[in-house]
Amino acid sequence: MTPTVTSEEEPENLPAPPGTSPEPVVMGARQGMFGASDGGDTSGYGGLVAPVLFPAAAVRPYGGYYDEIADHLERALVGGSASYSQAVERVVVDRGEMTVFVAREHLVAVARALRDDPSLRFDMCTGVSGVHYPHDAGRELHAVYHLLSITNGGRRIRLEVSCPDDDPHIPSVVGVYPAGDWHERETWDMFGIQFDGHPALTRILMPDDWPGHPQRKDYPLGGIPVEYKGATIPPPDQRRNYS
Amino acid sequence: MTNQYVPLMFFAAIGLGFAAFSVFVSPFAGPKRYNRAKSDAYECGIEPSPRALGGKVPVKYYLTAMIFIIFDIESVFLYPFAVAFTKLGVFALVEMVLFIVTVFVAYAYVWRRGGLEWD
Amino acid sequence: MGIEDKVPAGFLLTTVEYLAGYMRMHSVWPATFGLACCAIEMMAVGTPDYDISRFGMERFSATPRQADLMIVAGRVSQKMAPILRQVYDQMPEPKWVISMGVCASSGGMFNNYAIVQGVDHIVPVDIYLPGCPPRPEMLLHAIIALHEQIQNTPLGVNRVAAARAAEAAAMAATPTHQMKGLLA
Repeated sequence: MTPTVTSEEEPENLPAPPGTSPEPVVMGARQGMFGASDGGDTSGYGGLVAPVLFPAAAVRPYGGYYDEIADHLERALVGGSASYSQAVERVVVDRGEMTVFVAREHLVAVARALRDDPSLRFDMCTGVSGVHYPHDAGRELHAVYHLLSITNGGRRIRLEVSCPDDDPHIPSVVGVYPAGDWHERETWDMFGIQFDGHPALTRILMPDDWPGHPQRKDYPLGGIPVEYKGATIPPPDQRRNYS
Repeated sequence: MTNQYVPLMFFAAIGLGFAAFSVFVSPFAGPKRYNRAKSDAYECGIEPSPRALGGKVPVKYYLTAMIFIIFDIESVFLYPFAVAFTKLGVFALVEMVLFIVTVFVAYAYVWRRGGLEWD
Repeated sequence: MGIEDKVPAGFLLTTVEYLAGYMRMHSVWPATFGLACCAIEMMAVGTPDYDISRFGMERFSATPRQADLMIVAGRVSQKMAPILRQVYDQMPEPKWVISMGVCASSGGMFNNYAIVQGVDHIVPVDIYLPGCPPRPEMLLHAIIALHEQIQNTPLGVNRVAAARAAEAAAMAATPTHQMKGLLA
C-alpha cells in the first residue's frame, strides 16, 4: 500500500515516494550470504545472488538543512580555485545524512571553504576513513571525511574523495584540519592512500616494516590453523560456511 | 646518658649492618646473567634513544637536584630552628636569615636557568 | 644461578630448596603488563574484594627492574611483541610469566595477521590461564599455582636432573595430533 504524504507531514527521514527520487545504483552483486567463502558451503544459500545497492545522487530539495549547506558552499566557492560544479561530483542524501563527493584536486579548497565560511563553520573533522572498492575501476580507494559544526548547532556532513589504485594520491587536509594527522596515517597504513603534503606519513597501527595494506579487500586474514588433540581446525576464513 | 640512647645505637648498627651485608654479599652470592637489554636504559620497552657513553642520565637533571637541595635541606634546618627559636634569641635569628639569603642565591640561579620551567 | 645453585647434592640441598622457594614465593612483585580487557580483571584482583595484597603482591611495579612476575594480560599485537620481549629481558632473575587470558595464551578469538598467536612465541611461560577474561578468582588460582611451582623449584644438581627428565618425557610423549582419545 503506497503511503500518501500530505504537505504538513514530510519528515526528512521518510523515503521519498516512488517516482520522485532516482533509483539506487547497482554497484555489484553478492553471492551467497555473509561469512567466509573459501571453504565448502553447507548453508544452502550458495546460489543466492543479491545486488549491492548504493543510493543515487540526490535531487533538490535535499531536505532539512542540507539545502542551506549546499547553497552556502556554492557561494563560498565562488572566486576560489574551483567552482561548485567543478569540485563537487555529486551529493547523496540517504537516511538523513549528507555525503558530498569531491574531486580530489579540489578537496583542500572545499575543506577550507567549509571551515572558514561563517555560515558553514565545520570546525571539527572527526575522522578520515578509507574504503576499498576493488571492482570499481578507476575509483578503487575512497577517503571519507566526517565534519561536524559545533557553532552551527551540531550539523554533520561527510566528504568522500576517490582515487584510482594505480595513482593512490589524495591531498592532505592537515593544513585545514590538523586533527586529521593520525587519521590520515591510519588510512595510509590500512589502505595505501598516500596523502600529499602530510608532515609525516608513516605506519601507525602495524609495525613500521609491514608489507601490504591490511584493510583492503584482497588482503588475507592471516590466521593460522589451530591444533587440538587429534584434529586441526583451519583459520576462520577457510572453514566451512554454515550461515 | 648511657641508658636512653644505647638501644637506638644498637638498632642503627643492626640496620646499617643489614644494608651493608645486602650490598656487599650479593655480588658474590647472586647470579650473573647479563644481557644487552638489562644494561640498557628503561624506556617503556622501546630501544632507548642513543646517548653519549657513560651518561645514562641527561646532565640537565642537575637543576632538579639543586631544587631538591634548596627546598628540602633548607627546611630540614628550618624545622629545629622553628621549634627552639624562642630560646635562641636574636643571634640565631640573624644567623638564620643569613642562611636563607645564601640559599636564596642558589635558588635565584636555578630560577634564572629555567629549572622551574615545566619542560 | 647464584650461590644457591652451587650447593652440592646431599649437603642440605632440600632445606636450601625449601627455604629459597619459600622466600621467593612470598615476595613476588608483579610487573604491570595489562594490555587489554584482561587488565581490568587484573586491576580487580588488586581491589579489596579479591585482594592480591594477601600475598604481598599489591605493589605492581611499573619498572621491570624491580619486578619478579610478568602477568601478560591481554592480546599482544605484532607491534607490541618486541616491546614485550624487551621488558621481559630487562627483568632480573628469578622471573616468571603468567599468560593471562586466551589471547595471551594462544591468540584467543583473534586468529589474524595482527595478533601474536600466544606469547609463548616470545617469552617462556610458566602458567597459562584461560578465560576471556578470566575471573579474578581464576587469576588468584593461577598465582597460587605459580606459588606452588616456585616452592617446588629444584636447585643445583636437582635442577639439572629435573631438566633432563622433562626433556626425556617430552621426547617420549605422544604428539598432540596423535592424542585422539575416544576418537581413535
